[in-house]
Amino acid sequence: MGKKQHTLNPLRKVTVDSFYIAACETTNRQFAAFVAATGYVTDAEKKHDALVFEPGLREFEWDNDSSAYWRFPNGVDRGGIEQKMDHPVTCISYSDALAYCKWAGVRLPTLDEWEIASRAGSTTDYFFGPKNTQISRYGNIWHGADHLQADSSDGYMYTAPVGSFLPNAWGLYDVYGNVFEFCSGKVLANESPTLAHARGGSWWCSNASCSFFNSADIGRVNKRASFSNQVSG
Amino acid sequence: MLVATCNVCWAQEDEKWQEPGKATVAYQEYREKITKPPYGLEKVSLLIKKIKDDDESATLPQKDYLSLSLREKFTYHMIHAESYSQNCDAMPPVPESEKKIFAQLPDPFGEYSWSERQMNYFKANRDTMVALMTESIGRSNRVGVNYKKAIVEINGKEMIPLLISTYNRDHKDKDILTLLMILMKNNEYTPFLTSASYKKLFADAETSYRAFLNFNTANEELIIQRATTFYNGLPKKG
Repeated sequence: MGKKQHTLNPLRKVTVDSFYIAACETTNRQFAAFVAATGYVTDAEKKHDALVFEPGLREFEWDNDSSAYWRFPNGVDRGGIEQKMDHPVTCISYSDALAYCKWAGVRLPTLDEWEIASRAGSTTDYFFGPKNTQISRYGNIWHGADHLQADSSDGYMYTAPVGSFLPNAWGLYDVYGNVFEFCSGKVLANESPTLAHARGGSWWCSNASCSFFNSADIGRVNKRASFSNQVSG
Repeated sequence: MLVATCNVCWAQEDEKWQEPGKATVAYQEYREKITKPPYGLEKVSLLIKKIKDDDESATLPQKDYLSLSLREKFTYHMIHAESYSQNCDAMPPVPESEKKIFAQLPDPFGEYSWSERQMNYFKANRDTMVALMTESIGRSNRVGVNYKKAIVEINGKEMIPLLISTYNRDHKDKDILTLLMILMKNNEYTPFLTSASYKKLFADAETSYRAFLNFNTANEELIIQRATTFYNGLPKKG
């Protein structure tokens, strides 16, 4: 796994035990069931610090919306998830994802497990080949050159219902795009304990801003941060 | 689904990963260094330590924030970011980065970034920021990555001569050349927007955030010459 000359994810051989992995990203419906059963309150609800996007922001720029949380992932003004129960849940932090996993009796994939599952036996940069020219068939991504103008050219500006695009050879959907999948594990032994990692890119990720759509790269975010493009694994 | 394969990945013996050389590691550390302004540094550092002891927040309470003077607020913003950032990659050290002029600057604060309150301070106090950074750079002969990012945020194009003279002291900090190009790009300076450098760094659809030019004297001179011409063409204040 890994990529030749990639300094944090170099080409190498790894051995892991067999594991199960969900075919789709965790949905709003699944997360709602968790909240209904436990009364869980997410970090964004407690801290009012969710980060949301709207066209016009510069690259990697997000706006804080104190009203945003998983039920209103773009803020209360832009409506709730009532019609999006089969979309991936967003605006949840790594800590929230761990709480969900504990309740659901599952765990996050490790960084290595995610990559093994994403590759589905392929040896190229993407599970469908060496170039990203076909990525629009497999992932809900951002097709604009930047994020100053809205882009819904693949049918979705933000999240899409899980499983809307073609799966990889092992039947996993939304490996690239839609939302980041949190993974467990560290990239560097001495990295900050506040750091979490995620893979797979999101609806926000574009050719220009995201090299390899996290097929090789390893995303990083604070464990308490709640972005509208990240989900549990 | 069950992934029942225990050993699905591969390695090629002739493609073993090389540790970045000492010069690359040292240059990467140099690139990521921030400049700590002296204004109320001890007081501000203590307040930040208090925030960090509370795992739930990265934000200085409003009451404490308002008690800071203008200069102390500047120090606070330059050494602490209140909001979160998300990056597709942890920005690994690029092999031989000391020989490259990158399209983008490194992150000064890792998984944190400046908040709306902090950006509002930048907008409201632009001239003060230019003055304080000019004073600080003049004293230390160093432009930390936090200053570079702040100069981008406030579009500090009047600082171009200072940036060039700082760079010319030792020709080491190639991110100053990056900063000059970002200023030309953000101000839509036509001679730069039509250049091969712009195309390679910013305009190619396949360009990633890690695009770079190889460092050589010709590239260095061209960037400085263009930035100087850009600066000389700016309307001068009364």
